[in-house]
Parts: sequence; C-alpha cells; structure tokens
Amino acid sequence: MEKSPLSKGQSSLEYLLIVALTFVLVVPSSYLFYNYSRDSSQELVDAQITNIGRTIINSAESLFYSGQGSKTTLEVNVPDNVASSVIIDGKELVFNVTTPFGTSEIVFFSSINLTTDGANCNGNICSLAWLGSPGFKKVKLETVSLESVRITTA
Amino acid sequence: MHKKSQVALEFLTTYAWAFVAISVTIAALYYFGALDFSRYLPQSCIFPSQLKCLDFSMNPSEIRINLLNNIGENICIKSIQVTNDATPPVSCTLQPIPQGSCQSSEFYWAQSTEKDIVLASCSGGAYLSNQRAEVKISLRYYAINTPSKPVHLVSGKINGKVTS
Repeated sequence: MEKSPLSKGQSSLEYLLIVALTFVLVVPSSYLFYNYSRDSSQELVDAQITNIGRTIINSAESLFYSGQGSKTTLEVNVPDNVASSVIIDGKELVFNVTTPFGTSEIVFFSSINLTTDGANCNGNICSLAWLGSPGFKKVKLETVSLESVRITTA
Repeated sequence: MHKKSQVALEFLTTYAWAFVAISVTIAALYYFGALDFSRYLPQSCIFPSQLKCLDFSMNPSEIRINLLNNIGENICIKSIQVTNDATPPVSCTLQPIPQGSCQSSEFYWAQSTEKDIVLASCSGGAYLSNQRAEVKISLRYYAINTPSKPVHLVSGKINGKVTS
C-alpha cells in the first residue's frame, strides 16, 4: 500500500523535530561540560605540581639529615603546563606554570640548601631545565656536602 | 540534463528560505543572549592551592576575595592587579591593607592566615550589575626569609555574577 504525501510529510517533520531536540540538548551540555572540565584540569595540574614539589623537598630534607653520601631517586610525572623550573638562593624550588588565565609560579621552600650541577647555575639561580618540561622524569637527590643536597636527573 | 538542473534549482529555492529563516532565528537568539550558556556554569574562584581561594563576592563597585596563605612562609605582597578579556579591561583599585613589616606600598601576610582583599571602584571591562563576569587577578609577592627576595607571580580567576 502506498503512503499518502501527508504521512510522508509527518515523518519528515518528526525526524526534524527529533534532530532539533537532540541539538538543543547536546550543544549546551557539551559547552558546559567543556568549561567545567577545563577548570577542573587546572586544579588537577596544581595538585600534581604540589605533589611533585613537596615530594622533592621532603626527600631532600630527609637525605640531608641522613648524612653526606646518602642518595635516592624519585620518579615523577611532570604535567603539560609546566614551562620551566629553577632553584633560587638554594632555598626556593620554583615551577613556572602556564594557565588559561596567566602564568603562575608555584614555589616550594626548603629549610636546607638545594643545588644542582654547577654548569646550570648563574648567580643565585640554578636552572632545572630537564624538570621544567612535561613527561616522566627521574629525579636524583644526593647529599653532596654538610651544607647541601644536589638535585640532578638520573 | 535540463530537467535535472531545474529540480536542483527548485530544491535550493525552496530550502534557501528555510536556511535563511533558521540563520536569522539563531542570530536573534545569540543577540539577545539566549545562547550564552556560561550563565549556567557554577560560580568559581580558581587560584593555585598555595594561595587558596576560600570565598569571594562581586558587587557593582567592588570585588572581595578571601585567600589563605598556604605557601608555608611569611610573605610581602607587592602588587595585586585585576583584568579581563574585554576592551578596555576592567580596572579596580586595591583598598589599603596594613603593611606590617613590609616596605611601603606592600603588605605583610603571615603563613597559614587568611586575608580579605578588597578591590574597589571597579569600572570598565563589561563589569555590570546582574551580569556574569570573569576577572583575572594576579598577585606579586616575595618571601621575607629568602635572602635575595625574588618576586613571584600568582594568577587566578573569578567567574561569578555581579550582585547588587
């Protein structure tokens, strides 16, 4: 039996209404989900860097009080947003982080003197270029003197 | 061949009107803000956990933020700046805070304490009453106990409704 043109028109209209309703639901939901997840990912990056920084500082302080020659290796996963990492005055471990709303420096303070290979130091600033890029890293900590702990890559 | 092109032309002329009507409708919805879905997002205050944002409010004349010094050191705040993506950007004036042991034009912030920061006389940057606003806030500070006192930058963002 052949369908009437009116019946065909109704099918088309129903199809269009379903597609339109789907768009009305999907487009705003996607937008809201995208924005919400973007903010959440910033908090996640912050938590990752805080974890890395605290682990390095705590391990360095433990090694320092264990005495000269003591060493350990940490495995850390640096998130994408880290642009650079430096030690300032042997006291501050600084991570430069880029975010959608600007650059932030996340700073960890050490009660002991931190250092790295002499070639990477200029005045009171020592660069940890290998730690200031994203990816999986091995961080070697070693008590090199009665005064300081050296941070290098393993 | 001639008949085929006639069918194609008739198809286009029939549905071009529908296309124009849909485009005009979407443009009108966009113009009147019906497609601005950001107003359905929850209000947020995002700062690094070292300067944790505890609370905030946005009024037509001022922005208030309550931050916690989680850095683990006593610091001096050198400057606080507010901006957003509008042209010209929003502009506010930092209300004076007791400077403590810091130099003039700076203020002292002890570790593990909260600070109410008030940015008054806000203007420009589409910062309007009963509208959704997003502002970026950057703070410059240094730790008192670090010998060379290097200045560090912390950036955060507030997204909320300006309530009168």
